Amino acid sequence: MADTATPAPLQTRRPLAVGRLRGDLRTHGLLLGLLAAVVVANVVAQPSLLDVNQIGLVVQIALPAVLVGFAQTIAVLSGGLDLSVGAILAVSNVLAATWLSGAANGADWHLVLILLFGLAAGAVNGVLIAVFRFEAFVATLATWSVFNGVALTVLDTDGGLAPTWLTTLVTGQTAGIPTAYWILAVVLVVWMHLRRTRFGMQLYAVGSDEERARLSGIRVTRVKIAAFALAGLAAAIGGILLAGATSTGQPTAGNSYILPSFAAVVIGGTRLGGGAGGVGLTTAAVLLLVLLGNFVAALDLDNWVAVVATSGLLIAVVALRALIDPARRGDEA
Amino acid sequence: MRRVSTHAARNAPTLGAFALAAAVFLFATLYKPAFASGGNLQQLLVFASFLGIASLGQFVVILAGGFDLSVPWLIGFGGVFLTKWTSGGMPDAVAILLLVACGAGIGLANGIGVTWLGISPIVMTLGTGGVLNGLLLYAGLNSSQNAGVPAVAESLAEGRLAGIPVLAIAWLVLAVAAGWVLVRTSYGRRLYAVGMNDRAAWKAGVRVARVRALTYVISGVCAVVGGIALTGYIGLSYVDMGSPYLFGSIAAVAVGGSSVLGGRGSYWGTVAGALTLTFISALLPVLDIGASWLQIFYGGVIILGVALSRYMTRLVEAKR
Repeated sequence: MADTATPAPLQTRRPLAVGRLRGDLRTHGLLLGLLAAVVVANVVAQPSLLDVNQIGLVVQIALPAVLVGFAQTIAVLSGGLDLSVGAILAVSNVLAATWLSGAANGADWHLVLILLFGLAAGAVNGVLIAVFRFEAFVATLATWSVFNGVALTVLDTDGGLAPTWLTTLVTGQTAGIPTAYWILAVVLVVWMHLRRTRFGMQLYAVGSDEERARLSGIRVTRVKIAAFALAGLAAAIGGILLAGATSTGQPTAGNSYILPSFAAVVIGGTRLGGGAGGVGLTTAAVLLLVLLGNFVAALDLDNWVAVVATSGLLIAVVALRALIDPARRGDEA
Repeated sequence: MRRVSTHAARNAPTLGAFALAAAVFLFATLYKPAFASGGNLQQLLVFASFLGIASLGQFVVILAGGFDLSVPWLIGFGGVFLTKWTSGGMPDAVAILLLVACGAGIGLANGIGVTWLGISPIVMTLGTGGVLNGLLLYAGLNSSQNAGVPAVAESLAEGRLAGIPVLAIAWLVLAVAAGWVLVRTSYGRRLYAVGMNDRAAWKAGVRVARVRALTYVISGVCAVVGGIALTGYIGLSYVDMGSPYLFGSIAAVAVGGSSVLGGRGSYWGTVAGALTLTFISALLPVLDIGASWLQIFYGGVIILGVALSRYMTRLVEAKR
């Protein structure tokens, strides 16, 4: 592997991103402008979307992707990436649809076990990467396969049944507003708190310049393991929410989340290679992609249009950002 | 700086990769002797050839410090448009040449995006892959998929020369050629230099962008050719036919002892990686285990293969 002989590439030293919360307004403006444009176009195409419950449905569909995006963003911020997030989502999804079936209410200790699984699975990634020095791409490629296998041992085809409390939680209403909004809000509040914590600061520092972070006394290994464990936890929550939304378990559901999670991270403006960006941006990008698909469906266009539009958007946003802010050009590895 | 490679240090991971392939093969054969039967071996070689040919492009791209995530869609492109065009009346040879040209063109688009526009390889190839995916979904809408598999593609995948699959012979020729180009030609040395340290290579006068862009062209051509052969083998084409080769091609490179960060590795190692992964996928009927355990095993072997190649490299370096 690289650490044995490859000399460290000449790195341009850039200022640590610690505490840089706002980031570049111009590049974020691009994302928010696009999101606004898609929302307006969507509402024009289908005025029924103005109904709070209709948009709630869109948010509900987007929630698992939002949490996978959360997971991917943290992995990327730490300077790595995580191909296994989709597989962790799949395992927790099938566990939620099988283990939780008998539970009458939300107070089921199996739920804790599923969350612990996510945490542990992510920690395995973190240990492989930070302690055993596997390249993140290879380590999570291997665990992607392993966790996919685990999901298939739980359920070999689609099946199982999510408990009623879970489906009503995800699809129901709280205080007159679809609960999906509340969940989304909680995710964002958790992130806004997290990035201000000690761990949050260290996460940005490690992703920005690992060697410098080490020299300034940050325990890089611990931060990386924690980052991947947290990513696993977020993906597991995504799997539980997915079970609530579809009320069944799908052992192969995860694969369709992997590549879009990268697209969302990149469109959101988080730098591949780590150190800059955030979950809020990724969430906006996930909603943008979901609404884009929704818009294409509303116009009664074929699926291929949505696929091309998503990829076109990905390339266009990256190219535009390079034009607006030449300093960012090519600094993603 | 250490020398780019000494003979032993470069070959150690490759030897390790072949040892792993041999170990898996022996294990399967001892468990069920029919695994080493002529018929099964021919099948395995054909399957390994699909992975090996797709992985050649991926290997070259990774060696120069990139990734090509558009490989599965390029394979689908080769398959779907082959049947679409030939069933539409286009002569087989013209269709194949046109497909190879398209593969090169798509690869060039990847290369331009990565080098001259400075877009990260993962993002750029993900984007072109998505566009290709959309194109395939569009093209697949109104075409019968199993019509018009040309005889050339069929004989490439099904043909036997003295009992050895033609495709495997073609793969061997490709591997020998790739090994020669990588070690003996200046392009090969420049590839290693670019992957090892692109700034140093640039300062030494290597046209980094050109060298790197060409790797994506090679990958595009390899993937399309793999798609044509795969269509000949399964006798039809479909949009997702390349999906297993997205991570499969990268896993073959990693298990084969190359650094996924570029600059280190040999294509012969990737050949061993493709054989190992193919043997493992074929263990299902041998061990009578479920598909789920196969995936778990597959992931374990990726970790094992990469760890083994690192161990071999260290062993050789410690002796010097």
